[in-house]
Amino acid sequence: MKNFFIVCAMKILNIALKLFGKHGGNFLGKIAFDWNPEIFQYFKVNCPVIAVTATNGKTMTNNAIGYVFQTAEKKVISNKEGNNMETGILSTLLKSCTLTGKIKADYLVFEVDEGYVPVVFKDFPLDTLVVLDFFRDQLDRNGEVESLILKINDFLKTYTGNLVLNNDDPNVARLGKANPDNPNVYYFHVDRYPYATDNMKEAGEGKFCPFCKTRLEYEYYQYSHIGKFVCPNCGYGNNEIYKETQNINLNEMTFEIDDVLYKIKSNSIYIIYNFTAVISCCSLYHIDTKYMQEALSKFELNNGRLEKLVIKDTPTVINLAKNPTGSNVSLRLLNEDDDEKELLFVLNDNKADGFDVSWIWDINFDNLNNVKRIVTAGTRGYDIAIRIKTAGFDENKIEAYLDLEQAVKALYTNTTKKYVIANYTSLQPTRTEILKLK
Amino acid sequence: MKELKILYLYPDMLELYGDYGNIQVLKYRLQKRGFNCIVDRYSIGDEKPDFKSYDIIFAGGGADNEQSILSEDLVQYKEEIKEAENEGVFFLLICGAYQLFGKYYKGVEGNIIPGLEIFPYYTEAIADRKKRCIGNIVLNVNLNGQETKVIGFENHGGQTYDIPTPFGKVLFGNGNKFGDTEEGFFKENVIATYLHGPLLSKNPELTDYIIKHCLDRKYQEDTLLEPLNDAFENLCRKQLLARFLNIDR
Repeated sequence: MKNFFIVCAMKILNIALKLFGKHGGNFLGKIAFDWNPEIFQYFKVNCPVIAVTATNGKTMTNNAIGYVFQTAEKKVISNKEGNNMETGILSTLLKSCTLTGKIKADYLVFEVDEGYVPVVFKDFPLDTLVVLDFFRDQLDRNGEVESLILKINDFLKTYTGNLVLNNDDPNVARLGKANPDNPNVYYFHVDRYPYATDNMKEAGEGKFCPFCKTRLEYEYYQYSHIGKFVCPNCGYGNNEIYKETQNINLNEMTFEIDDVLYKIKSNSIYIIYNFTAVISCCSLYHIDTKYMQEALSKFELNNGRLEKLVIKDTPTVINLAKNPTGSNVSLRLLNEDDDEKELLFVLNDNKADGFDVSWIWDINFDNLNNVKRIVTAGTRGYDIAIRIKTAGFDENKIEAYLDLEQAVKALYTNTTKKYVIANYTSLQPTRTEILKLK
Repeated sequence: MKELKILYLYPDMLELYGDYGNIQVLKYRLQKRGFNCIVDRYSIGDEKPDFKSYDIIFAGGGADNEQSILSEDLVQYKEEIKEAENEGVFFLLICGAYQLFGKYYKGVEGNIIPGLEIFPYYTEAIADRKKRCIGNIVLNVNLNGQETKVIGFENHGGQTYDIPTPFGKVLFGNGNKFGDTEEGFFKENVIATYLHGPLLSKNPELTDYIIKHCLDRKYQEDTLLEPLNDAFENLCRKQLLARFLNIDR
């Protein structure tokens, strides 16, 4: 009865919020969760619940899975706006349930913050968990990656649903052994892409076998510590692969899985990994590959995640990068492009970014390909300028600003192609400044 | 060409907080002035390095897991490292490495990780795992009679005690312990500190102090370092000191 009352109250509140033109975000969930932390038990779900978690790529993968299902004419409920903690997911549920807590959909698809998987799915059924990657991320806020992984590992010890894991990340693939009695573990893998390297090029975590502490051996690194690895001592890494991506063609923006060709709108190895996870997940629900091909050929996020724009006749790519790997993936794309270009890097140190900016020293700024000028901005605009200078980029070609508007104006004084990298709280303000010039 | 040789200890394990940036800054400031800079790396499984043959030995901070793996490896070189330190090789030790060079590290469960016992201090983990000294930090440091402010970032649970000669006085932040007035350990040829940032990235005066000290020792002369273009560093310091200390340098 209490839960019925909470749901009624939240429904009314949601209508009120809408009348005032407010979106709500985590708000409804926060109130309901404070009222009754066990409220997740109230919902009656008769469809598969899918969750995506990772350090990087949650929003994109979550939204792409939802989009594939929608393309196959299924009804999907999802936290598409990225509210990925227990309160955000609860808000999504409260908005879409009936008064008796029934949720009518074909699929529920959620992105879930790495730290909140055990919280959300304590009392809520989970059919498939997709895990993409674990990287160092805002250490002063999140702590070491290892403690996050251990939390999820503990949760998985009693979990028997589908588990879709990136076999090229040693910190992810290890989760497949959390519950030896779970027969539903599916590993995906991406074949060597043209810019893969024999040695690690960027900061990464996966150096030692999580089971026997032996140094892992890599056949190749795709980016950061993502690549084909094996433990020479205990054989960890040699898993049976469920879906394997092959024949990556960056110029044509195509790849193949099970001899089916996928044409996509991006040439980033990072996105190809996300899409391999999408295809692995959707295949478990027997979605026809024609829907996957169609959906992925159109899918774009357009919210500053590798977003392509033309501003004052200037091609521009904007990407969010809140940790070293996010930045390194953006710089990979920049370096794989031979055209002349300029870079804007915006770095803030607000609470949501983490106050510590040491991580910029884990970004690989060596030998940037055909970059004519770099503009920096943000509350730590000078820090990033020092970082780039020390990597050997000509200091006379770096312009540092604290003021974002000035920086964006300075950037668009010519029509040379632009790459823009911005961290968490700086992304939307940067995007807004840039779009003003459109 | 004059050169400095740096030994980078456990580059694949003590590398969590961007501390490698310190080596990049040293190398940058040496090369800009026409000096050569050689960086050798040592990690588990590599051949035993000749510690005495280096001018600077550097080690940074790592994840707890990695730190416990490598402490066993490091302890086998205790005597060689002690000898190098006695001969005046410069040691730059950050965070986890700072702790490892002391007497011991006592974990939350009371477990003792033995240190190299080269320096007299010791470190104890704070009982509440969630409590850590985290945040921006500013020190006042005396380098050969010159007062300078050092800016960095601290992120440590360990509380370090019994330090006879601290690196600096805390103007903003915690230091060796919660709410401490002192930070780090300092000796003519040793800087051991919790400061990330990386430490040398925003403190060119400190970097040049280390460079000069090492060149003077190696070549037995009073080296004159030509000034570099530190425009970004100066702007950054001015901005951050104003923000953290509410002053305009």
